[in-house]
Amino acid sequence: MAPLTIQQATKSFGGVQVLHGVTIDIDDGEFVVLVGPSGCGKSTLLRLIAGLEDITSGGILIDGKDVSRLHPKDRDIAMVFQSYALYPHMTVAENMGFSLRMRGAKSDEQRRKVGQAAGILDLDALLDRYPRQLSGGQRQRVAMGRAIVRDPKVFLFDEPLSNLDAKLRVQMRSEIRTLHKKLKTTIVYVTHDQIEAMTMADKIVVMRGGHVEQIGSPMTLYDAPANVFVAGFIGSPAMNLLKGRIGADAQSFDLDAGGALQFTSALDARPGQSVILGIRPEDVTLSDNGSPATVKLIEPTGADLHVNLDVAGSDITAVFHERLSLKEGQEVSLELPADCVHLFDAETETRLSA
Amino acid sequence: MVRWQRGLWLFFLPSFGLLALVLLWPLSYAVYLSFFDYYLGSGERTFIGLGNYVDLLTEARLWNSMRTTIIIAFGSVAVEFLVGFALALALYRLHGSAKVFSVLLFLPHIVTPVVAALFLKWMLASNWGFVDATLLTFNIEPPDWLGDPVWAKVSVILADAWVFTPLVMMVLYAALQGLDTSLLEAAQIDGASSWNTLRHVIVPALIPAIIFVISIRLMDVFRFFDLIYVLTGGGPGTATETITIYTYQLGFRMLEVGKASALGVITLIVVAMLLLTINRGLNKAYRGGDR
Repeated sequence: MAPLTIQQATKSFGGVQVLHGVTIDIDDGEFVVLVGPSGCGKSTLLRLIAGLEDITSGGILIDGKDVSRLHPKDRDIAMVFQSYALYPHMTVAENMGFSLRMRGAKSDEQRRKVGQAAGILDLDALLDRYPRQLSGGQRQRVAMGRAIVRDPKVFLFDEPLSNLDAKLRVQMRSEIRTLHKKLKTTIVYVTHDQIEAMTMADKIVVMRGGHVEQIGSPMTLYDAPANVFVAGFIGSPAMNLLKGRIGADAQSFDLDAGGALQFTSALDARPGQSVILGIRPEDVTLSDNGSPATVKLIEPTGADLHVNLDVAGSDITAVFHERLSLKEGQEVSLELPADCVHLFDAETETRLSA
Repeated sequence: MVRWQRGLWLFFLPSFGLLALVLLWPLSYAVYLSFFDYYLGSGERTFIGLGNYVDLLTEARLWNSMRTTIIIAFGSVAVEFLVGFALALALYRLHGSAKVFSVLLFLPHIVTPVVAALFLKWMLASNWGFVDATLLTFNIEPPDWLGDPVWAKVSVILADAWVFTPLVMMVLYAALQGLDTSLLEAAQIDGASSWNTLRHVIVPALIPAIIFVISIRLMDVFRFFDLIYVLTGGGPGTATETITIYTYQLGFRMLEVGKASALGVITLIVVAMLLLTINRGLNKAYRGGDR
């Protein structure tokens, strides 16, 4: 257990810079998820923390100590790989005990610690099996077991659930969360799946193109995305983002694509200002007098109804929790509550309203 | 079963026919001949049952050639494996441009063994050969590379290693390319030293390739003939006379075709047993868990 600080970390591969001065403060025992599209530098950042890649400039501090030039084994970290990286010719017990053995632990100490970890992860019955005899979920647990036997200061997870099927992923998500509650170890977790990020993290770091876009709690990112990228990345289905100008009365919004949206109260911006307007699908409601729209596509998910609508030539997605009897092609009118609207500067794409 | 599948065995016939012609027929004929006293000069064959086998197995020369074969085979395969593996690991760690070396290292293997042997014979020639001349300039008295019983064995081993190490290197290098790099990274984080990573992660992962390369090299080296024939001709005396050289001497010098056939059959049995034992041993050593 230890705080982890990343200070102005940069990384270049030859002439290509993939991380541009990343700074992140992670508190002791915090569960931090690095999320972003592929190529955003999140895995590279994790590998820098692990010491599997050399940092180009900047520093990495674990428990206040600069580890950025130390060998991976001296950083007191443990890592769970996407491919699990279990040694195929070793049993589960040997896999889990390997790091202890390499550090010269006595065999009864190895057995005790492996037994403890196996108990936590419910692996007792599998200790004599080989990785090839295990299911994906079991391998995943062994990989975690290998990490926890050492009781490291920081756990690193590199997209650990991406090889599992959807159902198992949901189950492992809560298992990892429960494990974190039990062990209270600092965790840095990389994923490209924003749902994983939202459900697991204490703090999310959204990355794009080697830059940090926003750091905050899941609900902060959801309620107040700092820019258009975060707004579009966090939340599923994604936020509706529309380009246009605030109308003269500040209660309407003239779309660049043509047409206008009506709001019940004033928008928090100058009339005539060019903005990108964002509204979450779940904030869109049907009403008797609002902006006219046409139903284009209906996707029932069982619990919800995802409806794709055409509003004055622009696409808007809405999510309804109630069972509505809508038909494709039907004319409806939408209510867009002004207090749920997110406004971003059209030029800089950064958030305008608080 | 779909009806057309019944005719599929027809496709198997051409290759089976060819194999039967070039492999099974000569092999069976050799086994058949091994039961006869057959001197090529006389043209007469007398059935003597296991007589040839009894003769051979009670002869000191057979055991001597067997011992020589084993020394040379294990010596050269050991050198080839150790040097080849070291080179493969070095290549694996090297970056793009340095990989040109792999082509250079492969050159000796491209040369025909007989040509390589002739080349080495000149290199090792007494006094004026490249090796001796070099040593003599430093006032080092060179040994008689091909004329001394012990040094002749060493020279033959090194000659075989020179030609075949590149092959071993290439096979192991190819296997290393298929290694899951996250295993190496996991070992790094687990605190394994380079030696422990090699021993506990890399070697076990390469076991199939290692078994393959050691097996084909051993099989090959037991049939080792051309290099020795050109370099030493089995001499001095019988110092480098392997089973194949002895078989050649029996068959084509002494024209004892029956006895030579019997020796061929013995060689086949010995090599087959040896390879099975080695395969099992290697498999067991690493598949049975890591201790």
